[in-house]
This record gives sequence, C-alpha cells and structure tokens, in this order.
Amino acid sequence: MSTIRAGSPAAFWLALPAGLWMVVAVVLPVLLIVWVSLWGGQSVSPDSPITFDNYAHFLANENYRWLILDTLGQAAMIMAITGVLGYCIAYFLTVKLTSPGWRTALFLAFVIPFWTSTLIRAIAFVPFLGVNGLLNQLLISLGLIERPIQAFLYSRLGISMAQVSLYTLLASGPVVYMLSSIPPALREAAMTLKAPPIIVFWRIILPLTLPGIVIGQVLVFLNVLADFITVTTVGGNKLAFLGNLILLFYEGSQIRSTAVVSVLLMILMLAGVAVALRVVDIRKLGS
Amino acid sequence: MAEALVLKQLDLELRNIRKRYGSFIAVDDVSLKVQPGQFVCLLGPSGCGKTTTLRCVAGLEEPDQGGILIGGREVTGDPPWKRDIAMMFQDFALFPHMSVARQVGFGLEMLKKPKAEIAQRVAEVLASFEITQLAERRPGQLSGGQKQRVALARAMITEPRILLLDEPIGALDYSLRETVMLELKALQRRTGISFIWVTHDQNEAFSLGDLVVVMNHARIEQQGSPEEVLGRPRTAFVAGFIQGNNVFHGTAGRAQDGMLQVETPLGAFTVPLLDLATPAPGSPLSFSVRAERLIERADESVPNRIALRCVTVEYFGAFRRHVLDGAGGVVVKYDQFGALPQSIREGEQITLGWAAENGVLHRAPPA
Repeated sequence: MSTIRAGSPAAFWLALPAGLWMVVAVVLPVLLIVWVSLWGGQSVSPDSPITFDNYAHFLANENYRWLILDTLGQAAMIMAITGVLGYCIAYFLTVKLTSPGWRTALFLAFVIPFWTSTLIRAIAFVPFLGVNGLLNQLLISLGLIERPIQAFLYSRLGISMAQVSLYTLLASGPVVYMLSSIPPALREAAMTLKAPPIIVFWRIILPLTLPGIVIGQVLVFLNVLADFITVTTVGGNKLAFLGNLILLFYEGSQIRSTAVVSVLLMILMLAGVAVALRVVDIRKLGS
Repeated sequence: MAEALVLKQLDLELRNIRKRYGSFIAVDDVSLKVQPGQFVCLLGPSGCGKTTTLRCVAGLEEPDQGGILIGGREVTGDPPWKRDIAMMFQDFALFPHMSVARQVGFGLEMLKKPKAEIAQRVAEVLASFEITQLAERRPGQLSGGQKQRVALARAMITEPRILLLDEPIGALDYSLRETVMLELKALQRRTGISFIWVTHDQNEAFSLGDLVVVMNHARIEQQGSPEEVLGRPRTAFVAGFIQGNNVFHGTAGRAQDGMLQVETPLGAFTVPLLDLATPAPGSPLSFSVRAERLIERADESVPNRIALRCVTVEYFGAFRRHVLDGAGGVVVKYDQFGALPQSIREGEQITLGWAAENGVLHRAPPA
C-alpha cells in the first residue's frame, strides 16, 4: 500500500478539489456575510463605509441581549437533558444489554427515525403535542388529566420536548462509541481491586467516555443554536431564538441586521467549540 | 501421645462447581483445594474451562452449582469487591487515563486508606518492582514488560490472600517470559500469597506449579504435583497433552505377575499394572510411553516392539525428535537425547521398542 505524505505535491493536488469547494461554498459566503454586517451609512450597498455601528446598535437593544441569553439558556437546558438521557441510553445499549440481537434491534429502532429529515420530524410533533394530539389523548385515557393541556404545543415546553427527542441521538452516539471501545476487563480489574460498581463508573467508565460526552454536547449545542424549524413549527410564532431572528430580519429585508445576527451566532458556536476543545482534544480521538 | 492436630485453613476450596452458558457446559463438577501459599497452575487447551474457573473464584462469574470458600469463608454469591483476591488480566487491563502511581494506589484507595499511607505504600511497591521511574507515566507510554510489572504491582499492593493470574505472561515477548516467570515464582515464595495461574503452556505449568490441575472439556482430568502428572498421566488426554508422550489405545488381555497384556491394532504389548485393579478382559484402555524411553533397533530381548517408517527428523539442540509412521496410521515420536550423530534416516524402516516397565497404564479408561 502506498502512502501519501502530508505536504507532498500529491497530497496538495488531492486536497485541492475539496479545498476549492470549501472556499467557494463556505469561506467566501461567510466573508460576504461578515462584510455585509459591517456596512454602514444610509444606503444598503457595497459602497457603504465599514463600521461596527450595526453591532453596537443591535447589542444596545435589551430585548436582543436577552434573546442571546435566552438562546444560550435553551441550548444549555437541552444539552443537560440530552446529555443525561443520551448517556443512559448509550449505557443501556452497550453495557446492560448483553444479547446482540436485542442490541441491534433497539439501536435500529433508535436510529431509523433519524433517516427522515429534521423538518418532517419537527412537523410530526404538531399532531403529537396538539390539544387533540396523541400525548393529550393518552394522558386523558390514563385518567392522569381531565382536560387537554394547551401548553404542549406552541410553547417552550413543546419546543423543548421536540428538541430533546430530536437531539438525544447526537448526545448518545459518541458515548455509544466510547463505551463500546472500553475493554470489559477494565471494569473487571477495578472490581477485583475492591471498587463497587458506582465507583467503577465514576472513576473508570465516566472519565474514559468524557470525550464522547463532550463531542455529543458540541453537536447538541450547534444544533440547538441553528434550530429555527422546530421553534417555528412546534413553537408557532410565540417564541423566537437567534435562529428565528435571522429569518425574521431576512424576511423584513433588513439585510445588515440579518448579517449581524448571523455573525453573532457563528461567534457563539465557535466559542462553544473552543470551550469543548479545551476539555478534550477531539482531534486526538480515534488515534 | 496425643497427636497435635493443627488445622490449617485452606486458602481456596472449590466444591463441585458447575457453570453453563445455555447448552454449553463451561465448568463441570470442578473441585479443588488450595493450601496456604500454594502455587497452583490450571493447565489445559483453550475452551477447557480453566479461565471460567478462575473467573468464578474472582466472582466475575457466578457458578450455577457448587460452593467457593476463600480462607474458609463461603463467598459464593459475593461480588468481586468483597473477596480477598486480586487478579492479573491477560492483557493487563491497565486504566488508560491513570498514571502508574495512581493506578497502583487504586486498590488502597478503594480500601479507604489514608492518603499519606497510600503514597508511602505506592512508593515502596514501585521501588520493589523497580518501576519508580515510571510513576508519572500513562499505560500508553509503557512497554509490554513494564505494563506487566505495573499490573502486578497494582494487584499485589492490597496483599490479597490469593492472586489470580489469567495467562499473565502470554502477552509478553517470548524472550521476556522466562525471566518474568522466575521473578513471579520468587515473588510468590517471598510473599507466601497463593497464586492460581491459568495457562495453556505446559512448560509454565510444570516449572512453576506446586499443584498442576489439567483440565479438558470443562472437567479436571488430573491434579497433582508436576512429578505425578508428568510421571503418571491419569488419562489418555493428559498423556497426549503433555509433550513427548506416545499414547496407545487397546483392550485388556491377560494379566500375570503385575503385568497386563494390551491388545492394540499394532500388536500386543506388556504394560505394568502398578496399583491398578486388573481390568476385565476385552475392556478398552490406554497407556503411554515417553518418547525418550524408546529403544532404537529393538531386538527379541525387548518385549514391546513396533515396526515403523521414519517420516521426519528434527534437531532441537537438547534432543533429536523422530516422527515415525506405523500400521493403521499410528504416529510415534522418538526423542534421542545426548548429542549423538543422527542414526535414523528419513524414510528408513525401523523397529522401535521399549522395556515393559516404561509403559504407563492410564487410570481412567478412555471415554
């Protein structure tokens, strides 16, 4: 097998098509957005002077500052819930379930819904959470409630339930991978060294799966920040996060504000990834 | 004079333990007594149940039937962390995220020893295993031999009653194994901790063990000192598993003066009965003859003779091994010790024989 050394001409030419594509499809549009966000003056045109006024103006608005915090708060909440839930699911699938047949069956049941698009899955929550929806009917037939709960749909509760359902797989997948790569002998060695199961988990399993947790959290964080579909469909027009604000400004032809929010959102995402990289070096994984 | 009766507590006792996985029986009616400070080797081919037996002692598997006593105390049903054992795993099972020092101290930490005491004991143990310089390293930065020492230090620091070792040197380079074997034997003698060592390598088992337990198909075929097992294999399996034995199957014939005639497809042979009861004529049995006990070009004065054709001759330094074919597809090994010149050519027809007293009749008839 021949190997291609990093930095060799062959490596350069092989990387070129993907590199060009990245420049055209990602780097240039991002630079364009950054540029537009800096346009000053009265007229919206490329001749505008470069200024940070748009940012100052946006951040001066208390409602918008609150919206940034609210978006981050929503992300933090979803991360916490999907993190715990995803870890439990991953642990159950890889550690507690010993029959390979059941493991495959449950894993497929877990994964197959994610083969449909995010939009369809988000919309599917409307008949589930609605006043006459499945969830309400189930609760009524169980005698737990007397009248339908309005707050499931078009509310933060509904959005959060939908987002937890949509993103738990992202939190769980990397943990499944990390858990299944821990040799069973490590757990056994710890037990023969007098560690009861809870200590084995705390001292051996959890530290060894930490990279998986962090990667899962990054994925959930990025997806919640970017999610405007669930918020629109399940939340109605009652709620908005930063993602929806971009859409709102865009539909209102406020192109500079659209760019400002987009850039702020990107900065938040990059900051999140940077924090995660400080906890674990994702690039070292799989080596 | 009244005999002073000193009851020494056994370190380990297995009472008829049995373990099955579905329809597969992994351990069948295994009983074993381990004296204090004994070095026990569980020997057998892969899948014979030796590792499952060890894991039952550790509490990593629970036997379906039977009892396990450690130091005279019933531990059947107790989890591993409540048993007075430590275990060394085949690939060492070091914790990849812990430094060597942290790792070695883990057992003491679990016993809730004070921090200062742990630090002191870890330093002592690292020094005694000559790995002080590795204290801050992670397992990923260690060589195979170093990992083995760390794993051993980690297991020994809690001073368990029994150390369980699952193929402890199988993962080491061949050149390292002999040194490590000698070190482990010396360590066992020095500490007086009972070792239960699982291996498929008979050289390990016979050179290390005070007690060698040979297992096959989930059962114990024979247990005894290395001399007993080597000198008097109890079954055809044990004889065949030990290198350098020729195993013959046949049926019982006449018995006279402590000697038994055995009818085989290769002819009749005379084998000493030793302490065995005379078997009923025609009953199936087996016996073995060590490859180095054969006599070249045997004449009428040798009672047991076979006509053979030499297939291969291999020179091992200490001895020369000849593999020969006989009637009915039987294969016979003949080892010639002493640096003699080669006396049998490949392809040569030759008669080999052995003195009657060199045949070893197996106690248990072939299954």
